[in-house]
Amino acid sequence: MNLDHFAIDAATLAGPLASRLAAIRNGDFRQVMLSASDIARDAENERAAAEALAASGLRAAGLQALRDFEGLSGPLHDYKVGIAKAMLGMCVTLGTRLLLVCSSTSAYAVGDEDAIVGDLRKLATLAVPLGVRVAYKALSWGRHVNTYLRSWELVAAANRSNLGLALDSYHVLAWNSDLAALQEIDRDRIFLVQLSDSLWNETRSIEDRIETARHHRVFPGEGVHGAEIDDFLRRLDALGYRGDYAFDAFNDDYRQIPADVVVVRARDAAEWVSERLTRRAPVVRRIHAASETLDAQERRAIGRTR
Amino acid sequence: MAPTEALPEPSNPLGIDGIEFIEYATSHPQASGALLERMGFHAIARHRSREVVLYRQGTMNLIVNAHEVVDPTPAIAAIALRVRDAGEAFRHSLDLGAWPMRTRAAAMELHIPGIRGVGDSLVYFVDRYRDFSIYDVDFIRIPGVDPQPPAVAGLHWFGVVQAIEDGRTQDWIDFYRALFGFTVLPSGRYFGVLPKGTLLESPCHRFYLQLIEPPTGAYELDWPERFVRVGFGAPDIPAATKAWRDRGIVFIDRGDVQPSDKGALTQAYLGGAMFELVVSDPSRGC
Repeated sequence: MNLDHFAIDAATLAGPLASRLAAIRNGDFRQVMLSASDIARDAENERAAAEALAASGLRAAGLQALRDFEGLSGPLHDYKVGIAKAMLGMCVTLGTRLLLVCSSTSAYAVGDEDAIVGDLRKLATLAVPLGVRVAYKALSWGRHVNTYLRSWELVAAANRSNLGLALDSYHVLAWNSDLAALQEIDRDRIFLVQLSDSLWNETRSIEDRIETARHHRVFPGEGVHGAEIDDFLRRLDALGYRGDYAFDAFNDDYRQIPADVVVVRARDAAEWVSERLTRRAPVVRRIHAASETLDAQERRAIGRTR
Repeated sequence: MAPTEALPEPSNPLGIDGIEFIEYATSHPQASGALLERMGFHAIARHRSREVVLYRQGTMNLIVNAHEVVDPTPAIAAIALRVRDAGEAFRHSLDLGAWPMRTRAAAMELHIPGIRGVGDSLVYFVDRYRDFSIYDVDFIRIPGVDPQPPAVAGLHWFGVVQAIEDGRTQDWIDFYRALFGFTVLPSGRYFGVLPKGTLLESPCHRFYLQLIEPPTGAYELDWPERFVRVGFGAPDIPAATKAWRDRGIVFIDRGDVQPSDKGALTQAYLGGAMFELVVSDPSRGC
């Protein structure tokens, strides 16, 4: 099985960050999704987290999550821009090229399309010099943006190449959304797909849905929405999506059993997902040269190979 | 802004009007200065308190900053854009998502607002360039030197080449279009001897940015995002090439990189600094 395109969210595992990263690597995964709050809790600072990441040999698929960013004004907006800059800086330190942004739940945010589009553009511009891409995700309990289709409309309207979507199966399926509309999305603008399931058929209230999302998710293939996730995956595959899949099975039980046991479940999930996707070739990634000669300088300056 | 002043055109939101100066950083300013003098620049003034020298030829101002710099290879540290209102340009840029200039050993003590550019570089905004010189504040003229030395072979700023990572062309196009109003030249329209990458034209139509991704398959090549070289415009490239050769500048002359009527590329100097000549009418340049 080719695990190159799968990542586990470090916050779904128990233990200190370094040992969680080791468990993920020992499970033959190459990527990990990092949570800013998790790093703040667990590592001495983000530099220590970056060192732990480098020691593990894993690549960070992305950093989550900037919350309640869009639709604010005045001092609130300025404050959130400051938070966004700090998180973009964390992305650079951690060596990840993706910042995940969740649609706002703030009562102080407006739903005006021009305002949201302007804020997303501003975030995208801030991210360009740092080489970071911004993935906007519709939380199903978002105040104004809570469906994947609405998040796509806004991302498309903002029209910035480093601004795209994160599609989280939990939120996409929460509204029993029509998945046929996935074909309206430009596949190159889907920057990340997050996958998880749950063990009950319906959530009775928004609070119930939030509680389930944070504490009771399971891996795809383990829950009761296998058919819907199967449909979701096959549609993404047909669309031509070839990016990363990250497991975000936030579950209190998983956080109290050994990390390597949970990683085995993640491997099973990766196998379950892979059965539904077009087979892929292993990834070849750029390797930077350690030494330079005058010829190398010249080649670099004029952009020519040997 | 006074009510009688014209509002910026929508296509040129900052009122950009060319390049005021380009700043190089190096820990070996004498070696860089000697090289610049061979290219026709003259040291005009020294900074009042720092190891910073202003060079000039024709319409071009070039600053060599050695203040707290560790790398000997001269690197493009900043581009100063002439704008209608520097403060307004700065605020407008920040509103749209620019990062304000980080504290570093900037060349100018005079308050010139700046934003973060590619890599470690800065983009300054300068609005005092018609009846007042920003250099009068920070610099002391070198006695006995012509403060307005003529340009060798009609040299003028043509543009700057920027290395970008694989797949990042559109990101940077979006950046320069959103903040400054640059436009993409149609595919296939190139200048100079290296027809590659993407050319962006300034909203004042007076200079260009050339974005270059690493060559396909060049996995062994280190390719950090940064400004890599300046392009000098000249009306007659063979004449300009001869003038520089006579002054001791060596051009790459092999394979498909050879001096031509379109342009020429120097060898790498001082550990990797290269310079490009591009055919261009000086009335158009800056």
